[in-house]
Amino acid sequence: MKEKILIANRGEIAIRIAEACQDLGLDFVMVYTPADEDSEHVRRYLDSKSTKNKAWRISSYTDSNEILSIADYTKCTAIHPGYGFFSEDFRFARRVTIRNRPLIFIGPKWEVIRDLGDKINTKRVANKLGIPTIPGTDAPIYNEMEAEAIAEHIFEKQKIQEIAEPSVLVKAAAGGGGMGIEEVHQLEQFRRVYRQIQNYAKRQFGDGGVLIEQCLRDYNHLEVQLVCSRHGERVYFGTRNCTIQSTGRQKRVEAAPGFDSSCFPYDFNPQEVLDKIVKYSLKLASHVKYDNVGTWEWIVARDGSPYLLEVNTRIQVENDVSARISYLKKKHPNLIREQIRLALGDKMGYSQKKIKFKGACIEFRVVAEDTRRGFLPWIGTISRFNFPQHEWSAVYTHVPFTRPYVIPSDYDPNLALAIVWGANVDEVKERGRRFLNEIIIEGKNGKGEPILTNIPYLKDNIDNLLKF
Amino acid sequence: MKDTYINEILEKYRADPFGYIDSHTIHTGRIRFFVKKDEEVSGLSGEWHHIPGTKLYSLHREGNEKPTFSKSSGIVSSIRNDLEGKFVEAGEKVITIRYPLKKREIIEEILRQVLAPFKAPERAKYFFSLDVQSRIEKFGQRSVMVRPGDEILTMSLMKRDTPIYYQGEPGIIHSVYFQQGITVEQDEPLLGICPADKLPVIQKVITRVKAEWE
Amino acid sequence: MEDLRKKLIKCEERLTYLTQIKAGEDWGNISGFQEQLANIRDSFYDLEKEKIQKKVKSLEEGLTFLELRCEESLTPMERVRIVRSPLRFSLKDILENVYEDYTELGGAEETNIDPSMVVAKANILRRAKNKNFTQQVMVIGQEKGHGEEYRNGGSCKPWGNEKALRYMQVAQTEGIPIHFYIFTPGSFPVEDYPGAAQQIARNIYTLAKLRVPIISMISEGGSGGAEAIGLSDFRLMCSHGYYSVISPEGAAAIEGKIREGQKVPGELIESCAERLHITAEDNFKLGTIDRIVEEVVLGAKHDDFSFFKRLRYEVMRATDEVVLKTKSLRAFRAYELKLEKSGERAMDDPQIDISWDLNQDELKRLIQQRSKKYRLMASDAFSSRATNLTSLIQRVKHKTSNMYYSFRYDILRSQQKQVKQVIKDVSGESSVFFKQLTAPFSAAYDFIARKPDGKNIKLPLSGTSGGALEFGDTYTSPLANEDRTVTCPNTEKYGCRDLWVPDLYGEFCGVCENCGHHFPLEYEWYLKHLLDRNSIREFNRSISAGNPLSSPGFEKQLKAAILKTKRQSAIITLEARLMGVEIVVAMLYSNFRNGTVGAAEGEKFVLACEKAKLKRRPFLAYIHTTGGIRIQEGTLGVVQMPKCTIAVREYVDSGGLYIVVYDNNSYAGPVASFLGCSHYQFAIRSSRIGFAGPRVIRETTGSDIPPDYHSARNALKRGHIQGIWDRRDFRRNLHKALHTMGGRNLYYR
Repeated sequence: MKEKILIANRGEIAIRIAEACQDLGLDFVMVYTPADEDSEHVRRYLDSKSTKNKAWRISSYTDSNEILSIADYTKCTAIHPGYGFFSEDFRFARRVTIRNRPLIFIGPKWEVIRDLGDKINTKRVANKLGIPTIPGTDAPIYNEMEAEAIAEHIFEKQKIQEIAEPSVLVKAAAGGGGMGIEEVHQLEQFRRVYRQIQNYAKRQFGDGGVLIEQCLRDYNHLEVQLVCSRHGERVYFGTRNCTIQSTGRQKRVEAAPGFDSSCFPYDFNPQEVLDKIVKYSLKLASHVKYDNVGTWEWIVARDGSPYLLEVNTRIQVENDVSARISYLKKKHPNLIREQIRLALGDKMGYSQKKIKFKGACIEFRVVAEDTRRGFLPWIGTISRFNFPQHEWSAVYTHVPFTRPYVIPSDYDPNLALAIVWGANVDEVKERGRRFLNEIIIEGKNGKGEPILTNIPYLKDNIDNLLKF
Repeated sequence: MKDTYINEILEKYRADPFGYIDSHTIHTGRIRFFVKKDEEVSGLSGEWHHIPGTKLYSLHREGNEKPTFSKSSGIVSSIRNDLEGKFVEAGEKVITIRYPLKKREIIEEILRQVLAPFKAPERAKYFFSLDVQSRIEKFGQRSVMVRPGDEILTMSLMKRDTPIYYQGEPGIIHSVYFQQGITVEQDEPLLGICPADKLPVIQKVITRVKAEWE
Repeated sequence: MEDLRKKLIKCEERLTYLTQIKAGEDWGNISGFQEQLANIRDSFYDLEKEKIQKKVKSLEEGLTFLELRCEESLTPMERVRIVRSPLRFSLKDILENVYEDYTELGGAEETNIDPSMVVAKANILRRAKNKNFTQQVMVIGQEKGHGEEYRNGGSCKPWGNEKALRYMQVAQTEGIPIHFYIFTPGSFPVEDYPGAAQQIARNIYTLAKLRVPIISMISEGGSGGAEAIGLSDFRLMCSHGYYSVISPEGAAAIEGKIREGQKVPGELIESCAERLHITAEDNFKLGTIDRIVEEVVLGAKHDDFSFFKRLRYEVMRATDEVVLKTKSLRAFRAYELKLEKSGERAMDDPQIDISWDLNQDELKRLIQQRSKKYRLMASDAFSSRATNLTSLIQRVKHKTSNMYYSFRYDILRSQQKQVKQVIKDVSGESSVFFKQLTAPFSAAYDFIARKPDGKNIKLPLSGTSGGALEFGDTYTSPLANEDRTVTCPNTEKYGCRDLWVPDLYGEFCGVCENCGHHFPLEYEWYLKHLLDRNSIREFNRSISAGNPLSSPGFEKQLKAAILKTKRQSAIITLEARLMGVEIVVAMLYSNFRNGTVGAAEGEKFVLACEKAKLKRRPFLAYIHTTGGIRIQEGTLGVVQMPKCTIAVREYVDSGGLYIVVYDNNSYAGPVASFLGCSHYQFAIRSSRIGFAGPRVIRETTGSDIPPDYHSARNALKRGHIQGIWDRRDFRRNLHKALHTMGGRNLYYR
């Protein structure tokens, strides 16, 4: 049966998925909200005269009923959630696959999303497999004495490692997004903070469970890109370094490979560490029978010790960074295409040995924001939008090049992803600078002030790449 | 404000003394209409507005038949009968209800010109600040005095909440033009603020309309 | 002539009264009499006196004959009309004619917190050995007449019932008997503080152990309103009164599924009145009253002085009997004998002097007898399928466990307390010195004290942490097996998304993830998620709801309910553990006749109370839904209110912890008695609690109520409940409540 994909997302990823579908010869359907009417991901596929309408207006990207209603009406057989929205919502994946008219969820099976979506559970499973995680508890603690003993142990360990400013994080187990987290520098303060967080958690979440972890400083944020099939095949597409993030912990620049000796004199053997995190990632993946694309996020401390942070059970924004240093039959793979193909049940058709890694790659996320004022989103109308074209670069965007575009205020003001690649890190850095200089973005906001983007910030950070 | 100006406006309303309410589908689904063109419909009723109005149409989506009721009384002035039984997208205009304008609405419209408008600084969603909200709930909207520098609204933009401080003449919140949580275009008026010295003018408008509009 | 004219007017009155009783129906040639009357009136001054006299006389005789015929064939509904007649005697007439003098308390006439409830301190005259004595009583009752415009038809506001309660307590303080006179079609169903249901519940709860003799007399006994001042040691009922679970009109509206605003057919009302068994004779047969006070033909009116004389005799006799029964059986027998001897004369002058003061022992007996009296009420109105052998075994078991528990708790505990007190005293004085001394001693003591059953109630404060839904995977509501979505009722207000049914009734436990609205879930869900796994031991399963009044058609409905639920009654009583705490649970659930309470349900509830008392366990009443008293059981259902409340009171007084949790819909009788009297009432979110539903309120008060009138939130605001619990936190909250309210022993004292 010929599959038909519903793309349950917006912006550049929707376009990338649509193109991947076209490459694979699959029919697809777009959805959009009225706020996105002028985006490229809609305009390109919306043809009011044609009966073969490919874009359908819905009330919200986050209402699963709308997505499924369109999927049924347009006779789609699979749903691609993209990233964000439903991509890591195991309930959505479950509903999609167990409903009366089941559809294929393009992503891992829902049980895996659920189990790995729970950070505490992931940590517990990882520890069981001997995979290092951030020192601390892997289950909520309810007892003050027990909590203090754990904190004491973590302080001791940091002392042995001669860490300059040892500290412990106390987190509400049911919390998230930076809420209910306090740092403790001395054991004497611990009980007071513990009680404070416990009370907060009780009040806020109705559950007084608290997590205790070592507070890590001075680390790099690495990712391992895995691609797995429904037939138990698992390969990786290298590592990425995503240390450069905005204040809201939003990634802004990503690079591959994860480390490169030309950038920084590491205290450890970078290749060894990268191999190690790849090995661990594959171990966990095979344990949970992971069956689609996924990213294993790691923290690597200055001394080279890695700690598993979490698993992202979806395709990521920066997936192409990995693809651009990988070669399959001398060509860059397209991971979105791979994801769709494998989710639909294809065999992988190649082994790890066939994947060659070469060169380096950087991705810049071009965002309309004021980087000097806490990355404040900028709202306005873009009048000119132009990106250079090179055979060593790619741009993914939903912003039209040929007409003015009002940035919708309902969503993040991401404008484009710019990817440059080359033979080595130095070359890529140079190309990156050149590329950023060639970008032309003009526009004005309501007060007539010119557009603000993060391009200067991106330029400034090129030299910080892959460093501690 | 000149009397002639008020006359002009009144004249305009005399020519077409109706208001129009468009009903857009709130989500996708298969539509079924329950009213016909030119049919009379009623709006919410009951002491606590707990009795729904006339059932206009229902949308069938994912095994759920969701009815939409008329929010106001009036006459079905247009209806998309061609869509009956068909699948519709979200936000499709399907029915228009025409209703005779009430005095209150005409007064409101004229006052828009008189009152000092407080405009939306950005295209965003707006909410009253917690303090103002509680004062409105406690004392009623027209008893809330605002002064320059008061934190009056919260602007919700790009998932961030920004406080908005009042600028302009001090006065009471006479009219509210926005709905909480619904996106307002930039420079659209959010509030109509009435400075103390303008109260007589407003009174005059109200008496005139009340006298002349039946 | 004047005399004749008066006679004629009287005839006219009698004829009108007859017409009213017959509700305008032309029965027994009423119209003929009317014609005759008109004839006489028209020709009153034309004919000579003798002729008129003759005519009037024949009219009078004819009327008397007609009245007698009418009396012989009075239907229940006709009795209802007699009771509702404006000519009928009311409380003020009684106060004037039965008692010597009186002072109205808590307001007077119209200037009153609630003119429908009259309270008066009154003297009643007794003659013995040709001497006059007066004895004081507290008279409490509803008043419909003597100012009809402000009496609200005898329908008391909650604060009227509260006033009654206050003066009951005054009577207790002063040690004088209470005479209740019940003239109410029902309580005014408003929730304003103190709340119709809650106040009635408080009254019944207090009356259960009020330490004075209580006599009640029913003329118009309308369900809950009657019970508010109805629990008594002796219940009299006027021969033409009615005592009913619901008005015949109300019953007919339910029976005939009549829509609001539509007229209920008269025949249906008649037949419902019949079925409800509301007459004095019916109630006497059912055992819900103790004696009938005979009235005159077609009922007593304002001016039937012979009736008041009889009433005076009856209330005094009832009070005497109640008092004497507490003293000795011998005295009681002697009294009865004496009355018998004096025959009819007794009514005028019994010549017996009996003090109504009771000493402590007598009061104790009074309360015991009251409890026993209610315990036995309606005990034939349900069936238990236990065989002789099993019931014998049960009896033996009951006896032995009784001994075991009384040994364990009463004997041992009092010693335990003493020892503990000593330890406390000693160690308290100078703990440093004595700690070493007492520590091994108290440890040894603990060891011994724990011995009797080896599993002391553990305090599971630690160790049993974790989520609310520990067994979330073991039971999923059958409602979840459908691929469709539903709209949250709050979607307009909070923008809730449509909920996918398998998620909603599965993982979300029937709760909207956005706004927290609770969709109803079946009671089985609670059995599985509230109580510890495999800890449930149901008891008295075989006690079966019956059809004691042989209500036509009800047999079939009952069978259908039994078939549908595979249960015998609307209540499930069980022993179980909750996070390790042993508790007794009574659960009214919706599938069986909408959780209505009849004799079987009441009995099971009382038995559960007794079990909890015996075993010293906390007692939870989880009300999945209750629609009130089962109307098909008539007053046999109504008496479940005092019966169960007395059981609750005894349980609580013995130290028990009684917690009520309401869910979905809880209305009427049960809320106005054994549920509403609990000191600790909670509600599950989105539930509704109240006295009467919106329709009844509209029909009785004539005004509409806001849609959220009965919401749990408003119940909390009014102080009726102590908290609102999320269904998902039910288990945890209940566990916490058991500890905070139950203290160390999970049992008050």
